[in-house]
Amino acid sequence: MPPKKMKEFKKEEGFPNDVKSALNKCGLNTDNLLCSLCTDMNRESEFSDCFLCFDEKGLYYAEGEITLPKKKHDSCDVTIDKIITYPIDEVDEVYIERNVSTARLIGKHNGEDFPVALMSFKCLREIDKFVYIFNAFKNGTDMNAMPAFNKDEFPDFDKKKKDKGIVFRLLAFYKKYLPLVAVVTFAILICTAFQIWAPQIGTRALFDDIIANPKSLSAPELLRALTILVVEIFALKLFKVVLDSAHQFLMASITPKVVYDIKIRIFTAMQKQSVSYYTSKYTGSLMKRVTRDSRNIYWFLINDLPDVIVDIFMIVGILVIMFNMNVKLSVLVLVTTPIFGGMIKLTDKMFHRLHHSHWVNDSNLSSMVSDNINGQRVIKAFCKEDFEYKRFEKASEKLRFAEQKLNMREATVFPIFQALIHIVSTVIFAWGSVMVVNGEITVGVLLSFIVYVEMIQQPINFLSGVVNRWARCMDSAQRVFEIIDSEPEIKEKENAVSMKNMKGSIDINELEFEYEPARPILKNLSLHVEAGEMLGIVGKTGAGKTTIALLIARLYDPKRGTVKIDGVDASDIKLSEIHRNVGMVSQDIFLFMGTIADNIRYANPDATMEDVIAAAKSAAAHDFIMKLPDAYETRVGSGGRDLSGGERQRISIARTIIQNPKILILDEATAAMDTETEGKIQKSISALKEGRTTIAIAHRLSTLRESNHLAVIDNGEITEYGTYTELLSKKGQFYNLYKIQNEALSAIGIGD
Amino acid sequence: MLKQNDCKFSLNKNGFLQAEINGENVGRVKIVCTQPLTNPYEYISVISMEDVEHGIIKNITDFDDEQRELILNNINSRYFCPVITEIASIKDKMGSFYFDVVIGKTPKNFMVRDLTKNIRQQGKTVTITDMDGNRYKIEDIDKINSKSRKKLEPYLY
Repeated sequence: MPPKKMKEFKKEEGFPNDVKSALNKCGLNTDNLLCSLCTDMNRESEFSDCFLCFDEKGLYYAEGEITLPKKKHDSCDVTIDKIITYPIDEVDEVYIERNVSTARLIGKHNGEDFPVALMSFKCLREIDKFVYIFNAFKNGTDMNAMPAFNKDEFPDFDKKKKDKGIVFRLLAFYKKYLPLVAVVTFAILICTAFQIWAPQIGTRALFDDIIANPKSLSAPELLRALTILVVEIFALKLFKVVLDSAHQFLMASITPKVVYDIKIRIFTAMQKQSVSYYTSKYTGSLMKRVTRDSRNIYWFLINDLPDVIVDIFMIVGILVIMFNMNVKLSVLVLVTTPIFGGMIKLTDKMFHRLHHSHWVNDSNLSSMVSDNINGQRVIKAFCKEDFEYKRFEKASEKLRFAEQKLNMREATVFPIFQALIHIVSTVIFAWGSVMVVNGEITVGVLLSFIVYVEMIQQPINFLSGVVNRWARCMDSAQRVFEIIDSEPEIKEKENAVSMKNMKGSIDINELEFEYEPARPILKNLSLHVEAGEMLGIVGKTGAGKTTIALLIARLYDPKRGTVKIDGVDASDIKLSEIHRNVGMVSQDIFLFMGTIADNIRYANPDATMEDVIAAAKSAAAHDFIMKLPDAYETRVGSGGRDLSGGERQRISIARTIIQNPKILILDEATAAMDTETEGKIQKSISALKEGRTTIAIAHRLSTLRESNHLAVIDNGEITEYGTYTELLSKKGQFYNLYKIQNEALSAIGIGD
Repeated sequence: MLKQNDCKFSLNKNGFLQAEINGENVGRVKIVCTQPLTNPYEYISVISMEDVEHGIIKNITDFDDEQRELILNNINSRYFCPVITEIASIKDKMGSFYFDVVIGKTPKNFMVRDLTKNIRQQGKTVTITDMDGNRYKIEDIDKINSKSRKKLEPYLY
């Protein structure tokens, strides 16, 4: 029977027309398809064009091939090899079975599975939608209530950003300092012009106007001409030195500001990222992006960029003058330029690859060292120093190899460049001499030409050498922009609601969530917690308990369903409001570098010392803090004092008390504590729970006795729900867990 | 550990692997490798579709040819991974790497982000995971042509 909502179902465009007509020719009527999808693999695991669709009569799977047309507007050639029809009454539901690198669409009829189609993970998002629509059709539920797919899981790259050159994006950071940059560029231009003009006076004028015609000038005239020449040369050099210093001084003041801006942009972009971003990136590589990559950019911008500009101006200027002096000799110089250009391009690519390889190995080594430092206790406990040493040695060896390869290439490529320049210069000298003998040019012109060739050698030399540093800077800039361009998965809507007076009621409706496509963690989960009530969540490890907490705190977005706070969808509420009102105390405690007081007032930097002490007292932390020599000013976190797990937990509870959240999530907050510490912390937790909606996740069931309701989660679903006594009397899963735990505790004399 | 006498595999009418363990028909099962990258045929687990482990097979050589073929087919289909035979190009654009490769004789392109995480070399085998989670394999890095190897080498860790 067709579902009620089917009439309202908005069908998508479906297959392309060429596919439709090919399917029609094979006897499949495509006019009334409710959902259609192209997949990329046949049942023999070969990449191929396959088609999945269904209508009110059946589910269809077809295998074939699409041949794209040679001309853009021609139609595709579609061949259909076979069509398999599953009558709609013989398919109760469909689901996705995930393999390691492929996904299979499975149909179910009378409890029996049968294979329908195979595809790569590329089709997961679409097949998930197909499954949803098909099952909604079969169940008679709303086929339009489609999942809001998280597009960032499969990011589309912004073409503009991709195509916009890294260089221009890097230079765009100078925009803020445009007037100063204009002054610097002007100074560089003048400076270069002086430098280029100097041989015209120092060499050509000296030889052709004075030395070549000594008899045409009287002694005082000769002296006067020489003096003017010397003064001119001196003035030019002096002016050049002044301008040189000025542009270097200005550049030195602008570049650190630019690099500062870049660092701030990277850090801000990192802070905007969702939790999943950090779990998918190695810390070592991220740290390197902020520190080493920005340093690479800095050195290139401050040391090399001004010289690059000078040298480009210089090469152009020298070539202009050379052509004015003699076209033939200039052509000879010019002929060699594309050869150098080509070589620069080739080496640029090569060095880019070598730098990347070096960077990767270096990052790897840093991550390993960071791992080693953090895991010292474990390493010592298992006597694995030698093993760790060998691991480090292996990674170092790889880095050494990458470094060596880079250095060796540098050592061979650059001398080849220099040798080529010398050859060009010698050829010009030989040819020029012949021209002087033939009277085509003067000695002054030849000598100044030689000076220019020598002069052009320096910028070409530099530009060939800078290729290496340029490649390193571009490699670093590319990674930096990757962070800057990354879109956070959790975004605040433009018109997000501000909820100043949050009460704390939570509504979870048909929640579905997965960290990876087709690996569901939560399945159709619904819960309701009244403001001020306490909900206890129990279940096995990996059942999805913590995921519920993370979704309430909107650290992740659900795949389907909603989390509502005070009746408003969490995705419609300002992120800052959610994070301010949802407090989490978890088993993993993180204390930041700083004093205990700083850590306690982390959520509210304006908290007074009185507030901090009151929070520490409520969290049963005050007494142990006062026993420390520096009391509240004791430094903790990285490089600070080592505190026990219980002490750290109590500080984190004090931090949450200061936050004063309306919703409190206790995620196994006392799981790692001994009984005595747990007792102390339980008291502080009881103080913390006052007047707040509390979600308590715990293995130790006795800690959930005060809960208004309890939910037992198994494999992402709620299997039991009720009060503590209701669940015990039900004698189901909760009762079994309770019995096992109580027996174990009784054995050590602390059971109920 | 499951021995040949403890379990018997067969295909159900729809072609799925099913098992009889200690004389009891446990229905559809899947074979999951404990060391899929280095040693896929030893210590393999027999798991129900509801993720309950029935036992572990130490080595598939303990089974007769017919049973071994059934187990192997299940492993091969579960761990199927397209094999790259040639790398035409690897283009690096803003931190994303665009691979143009040949699989068998079919050209294929895909995009990889975060190479440190998504390219893994285990002995001579290189596994590349694209942004959708698809895995591609180079079975022996020494056996692909040198041009392809040179293109990939800077990204191997």
